[in-house]
Amino acid sequence: MSFDYIKEKKILLVDDEPDILEMLISILKEDGYSKIETAATAAEAFRLCRSHQPQIAVLDVMLPDEDGFSLFGRIREFSDLPVLFLTARGEDDDKFKGLGLGADDYMVKPFLPLELTLRISAILRRCYKNEAAYVTLDACSIDFTRAEIIKGQDIIALTAKEHELLSVLSRNAGRIVTIDMLCEALWGDNPFGYENSLMAHIRRIREKIEANPSRPVSLVTVKGLGYRLITKEVPR
Amino acid sequence: MKSIPKLIRRFFGVLMFSLFLMVFLNLALLIIFSYKQIGNGSAWTCADTVSFSLTAGSDHQYILSQDGMDALRQKNAWAILIDNQDMKVVWHSENLPSDIPLQYDLGWISLLTRGYLNDYPTATSEHTDGLIVLGFPKKSYWKLMWNTFDYQMIAHMPQTILIFLFLNLLLLLIIYLTVTFRLLRSVRPIVDGVERLPGDEEVYVKEKGLFSGIAQAINKTAEKLKHQEYELKKQEQARANWISGVSHDIRTPLSMVMGYAGQLETSPFLSPEDQKKAAVIRQQSMRMKNLINDLNLASKLEYNMQPLNLIPINLTGLIRQTIVDFLNMDLDGKYPIELLTDDSISVCMVTGDKSLLKRAVSNLIINAQVHNPKGCRIFICINLLKDSCSVSVEDDGEGISDEQLERLVKTPHYMMCGNSTSDQRHGLGLMIVRQIAEVHGGSLDLMHSTHGGFCAVIYLPLISVE
Repeated sequence: MSFDYIKEKKILLVDDEPDILEMLISILKEDGYSKIETAATAAEAFRLCRSHQPQIAVLDVMLPDEDGFSLFGRIREFSDLPVLFLTARGEDDDKFKGLGLGADDYMVKPFLPLELTLRISAILRRCYKNEAAYVTLDACSIDFTRAEIIKGQDIIALTAKEHELLSVLSRNAGRIVTIDMLCEALWGDNPFGYENSLMAHIRRIREKIEANPSRPVSLVTVKGLGYRLITKEVPR
Repeated sequence: MKSIPKLIRRFFGVLMFSLFLMVFLNLALLIIFSYKQIGNGSAWTCADTVSFSLTAGSDHQYILSQDGMDALRQKNAWAILIDNQDMKVVWHSENLPSDIPLQYDLGWISLLTRGYLNDYPTATSEHTDGLIVLGFPKKSYWKLMWNTFDYQMIAHMPQTILIFLFLNLLLLLIIYLTVTFRLLRSVRPIVDGVERLPGDEEVYVKEKGLFSGIAQAINKTAEKLKHQEYELKKQEQARANWISGVSHDIRTPLSMVMGYAGQLETSPFLSPEDQKKAAVIRQQSMRMKNLINDLNLASKLEYNMQPLNLIPINLTGLIRQTIVDFLNMDLDGKYPIELLTDDSISVCMVTGDKSLLKRAVSNLIINAQVHNPKGCRIFICINLLKDSCSVSVEDDGEGISDEQLERLVKTPHYMMCGNSTSDQRHGLGLMIVRQIAEVHGGSLDLMHSTHGGFCAVIYLPLISVE
């Protein structure tokens, strides 16, 4: 799956340390993002949210004029834009508070540039996934909008569960997704005892997407842990 | 005041014991005393002796033998013989007082037999010719004048004595209980106060009554304890706050070091050598970051300031996620991790704090990675025990020597012990794992791995099946 489209998203960075802002810009620019706005105060951030409508915001929690959490609350009143908190406050309480308020992610300083860009692109993919509803695998491609597999000349329909399963895997393409996460995505919060059902679904998906379902190359098992979807990068 | 019944029982036991001891002693004394009183019968035997040794000679002269005279002299008594026929004194001892009449009638005789003759206590004895009357010095004997008793009373004497004893005991018990309860009522608040002292609640005892002094002392102690606890807490809080403050302040500058180093590491404009240098800076700042996090968490766990968010957790799921997080970040595949758990343990419920447990397992994985810079395979295994479960994290890396292992297990971390001597400064990572296991009611075991490296096992109690 190509994610070039997410690099076009408008990012708002809010931090009161100009040095940090400068570094964040350099990290994101290097990763390919170009539309970056910055704000050093909550008031400015709020104004930018109103006027420029960024598509993701990276918020510091401690701002000179307002608490990052309350700024987030005010933004939420008029916008659903995804938010990642990036803060020096590492307390678990703060983490839970941030995530509990509905933030999309929470990172504690110091952080690795790679981790930040990975998390931002994960959020963007999750929130703006409809625009990239087409994934190419080794033996076929998946059209998520139509819930179909295009395998050579054949078009195979996906069930709702299979569609959900594949979209979770493709959003985390190349990464292991645990059995528990998949069960939770498919059956909700109490996913105990669904592992056999999950295996049945995986088997059926393999029959649809793999050239040789007994020797899968696209939907790979990681023993005891989970599954990984291996996609092919195709220029759009 | 749970000990009141015990107190009463014990005291009552002592009471009963002393009562029986007293009765027994009294009986013994009575017997000894009565034995001594046998001598009191001697007045009558003396009379018998005199009667026996007084014999009538020829011409109506009576002769008292030496025995009789000795008996009289010994008692300092006098004696008369009253004739059966004419009630006249026919013989008397030489020491007869002058106020003793020499002629008697029947009434007089019955009186003197029962009691006294002119205030002289008397004893009588039968003689072939009449009645022998002995008179003893005044006030040498006391005589019971009306010596008849109700027959029923004598017949029921044992029961009567028992009833008397029982009534006495009852009375004693009532007196004891009244006094004790009155005492206990004034002691109770004191005891309550002392019993509550070690607890967390506030202690105040009313300072009045018999024990106002003690109550005052308890109140002062409680206040002092509270104050000390407050001071201690304040101190611990200050220390933990200080650590958390410092670690917070370091985070921002460290972000910059780490961020730019990370960027330089992959910069195409740097020579491979310079990229390597940047990588070292990045790695070392990662270590600093871990150290800060560890220090912060360790101090909070140590001072019980880490809020625990305990919920039922599927440990297997949590460990899978932890492993996957590592595998997804391990881009060059230097540290493959395998979950060796049996498929049947797909659910392993424990009560725990999700982020802390994840932290513990992560620490063990990081530990294996840090100590095996050349890479190693890591094996994680969940085992169900009787009412607990174990999570072992092992590696096939370099491992440690027996000596190192022993030191790791035995010596406390420098944060735990007062002296800051140098050689025990191993990382905080394992100590945190131990602390986390302990706040969950579990423990940590360190050993050599069968895979060749190091092995750490966390034991956690399972949720009991409802």
